[in-house]
Amino acid sequence: MADAEIALDIQNLKKYFGGIKAVDGCTFQVPKGQISGLIGPNGSGKTTTFNLLTGVLAADSGEVLYNGENIVGLRPYEIFNRGISRTFQITRIYREMTVFENMLSASSMKVPLREARARAEQLMEFVTLTKLRGEYGGNLSYGQQKLLEFARALMTDPDLILLDEPAAGVNRTLLNNLLDHIHHLQEEQGKTVLIVEHDMNVIMNHCEKVFVLDYGVKIAEGLPEDIQTNEEVIEAYFGHK
Amino acid sequence: MGQNEHLRNFGMLAVLIIILCVLPSNINLYQRSVILFTMMYVILSLSWNIISGYTGYVSFGHVMFYGIGAYATGILVVDYGWHWIATLGVGVFVSFVVSLCIGFPVLRLKGPYFAIAMLGAAEGTRVVATVWESLTHGGEGIGLPNVENSFETYFAMLVVMLATIIVSYWVGHSRFGIRLNAIREDEIAAESLGINTTFYKLSAFALSAIFPAAAGGIQAYKILYIDPETEFFILVTIYMKLFAMFGGKGTVIGPILGTFILYIVQEITWVKFPTAHLIAFGVFIVLVARFMPRGLMGYAIDKGWARKGMVH
Repeated sequence: MADAEIALDIQNLKKYFGGIKAVDGCTFQVPKGQISGLIGPNGSGKTTTFNLLTGVLAADSGEVLYNGENIVGLRPYEIFNRGISRTFQITRIYREMTVFENMLSASSMKVPLREARARAEQLMEFVTLTKLRGEYGGNLSYGQQKLLEFARALMTDPDLILLDEPAAGVNRTLLNNLLDHIHHLQEEQGKTVLIVEHDMNVIMNHCEKVFVLDYGVKIAEGLPEDIQTNEEVIEAYFGHK
Repeated sequence: MGQNEHLRNFGMLAVLIIILCVLPSNINLYQRSVILFTMMYVILSLSWNIISGYTGYVSFGHVMFYGIGAYATGILVVDYGWHWIATLGVGVFVSFVVSLCIGFPVLRLKGPYFAIAMLGAAEGTRVVATVWESLTHGGEGIGLPNVENSFETYFAMLVVMLATIIVSYWVGHSRFGIRLNAIREDEIAAESLGINTTFYKLSAFALSAIFPAAAGGIQAYKILYIDPETEFFILVTIYMKLFAMFGGKGTVIGPILGTFILYIVQEITWVKFPTAHLIAFGVFIVLVARFMPRGLMGYAIDKGWARKGMVH
C-alpha cells in the first residue's frame, strides 16, 4: 500500500444511541486524492459515521482531523464550508423546488450569481437533467433524484466528497457515467472520495482502499482484493463457518 | 432571461400603484377604509409568508408584531406627544428586537411546536399589554386625538405595502430566498449543504416582524382607539394566514391576490349577510381547502398557467 497523504484522520470516534453502540471507537485514515470505500453489514454504523463526519450528529467522543483541524463539534454548514460535501442514503432533494433551484441552493453566497448559474447549468448537463431544470425535485424518479443530489453536492467544488450509496436505484448506464465522473474528479482534480456502498462491484472495481465496519468498529482495511479474502470480513457478512 | 419577466411584474405593480393613488379622492370614506384595510392585510399576509411560506415555519402568533406597532404609536402619540409618523420607526425597531429575542429560542422548535409557541408568545404579549398599566393604560385601552386622517393613513399604508411587496419580491427571487425554501423543504439537508439555518431563519423571522409593526401603527392612528383585546386578537393572525394560503403561500403574487379577493369577499358577505357572514366565509374556505389546497397560485402551477419555482 502506498503511503498517501491523509485527507481525513478519524480517531476513536464514538456515538451511542441509548444502549446501542452505533459507532464504538472507530479509527481510520482516509487517504487524500483517492477513492475509498466504506462497507459493512446493515447496521454496522456506516451512515452514522457519515453523519458524525458531516456534523449532522454530534459525536460522544473522538476526533476527526481535516487539514489539521478537529471538526468534531462544528455545525454541518461549517464543515461543508471547509470543503466536505455529501449525498444521503435516502435522497434529500428539496421536493417543492425546481431542479435548478436545488442546484443554486448549494452555491456559496460568495460566488457571483452569474458564475453559480453557469456551474449549475454545467453540472445539470453532466447528469442529464438539463431538460428537467424547471421541474420540481419531488417529481423526478428516484434515480434522477440521486443524480440531482450528486450534482448538487458538487456545486461548491468540494475537496472531499462523501457518497452514501450512490448506486442504489440508479440504472447501469447512468451509474457508469456517474462512476466515470467520480474517477474524473479524483484523477484530474485530485479530489478525495469516500463511498458507502452495498454494491460490491462498485467497491471492488472503483475503490483503491476499503474500510470494513462491523458493530461500529473498523474490523479491516486494505486493498479490495485483500478484503474479499479476509476471514474476519467474511465472518461479519456471513457468520461463523 | 428573467429580465422581461421582472419588467412585466414591475409593470403590473406600477399599474396597481397608480390605481391606488388615483382612487382615494374618487371614493367615499367607507370605501377608502376598506381599501386601506385591504392594503394592511396585504402587508400582513406577505410578511407572514416570509417566515411561514418561504421558510416553512408556520406562525400562529404574528399578530404580536402588529400589536407592538399599534401600542408604540398609541403610547408615543398620547403620552409623549410624538408625531404619529415618527412613532412607526419605534414600533418597527421594538418589533425587530422582540423578534430576535423570541425567534432565537422559538425557531429551534419545528412544525406544530413552533406554531403553538408563537401562539403562546402572542398571548403573553397581550397579557403584558393588559397588566402593565403604567405603560399601556391596561385593559381600558388608549384613545388617540380625533382628527380627519383618512388620506394620510391611506397613503402611509400604501407606502408600507409597496415596501413589503418589493422586499418580498426580492426575497422570492434571490439566493437568500432559495436558501429559505431549502430550510422549508429539508432543514437537515440545507444545513449539511452549507446553509447556516439559524442565521437564515432569524433573518426571515425579523423581516417578517417589521412590516406588521408599521401596519399596526398606521392602523392605530386610523381607528384612534386601541386595547389589548383587539390589537392582539388571534383573528388577525388567522386572516393573514388564510389570505396567504388562499392566494398561494411561498409565492409573491399569491398573498397579494389572496388578500384582495378574500378581504373584499369577506367585506361583501358581512354587508349582505351580517348574521351569517362568518358561516358563508367559512364554507368558502372549506371549499378552497378541499379543491385548491395550495391556493390560487398552486392551482395555476398545476394547470400549467404559471411556472414552477421562483428563480429561472
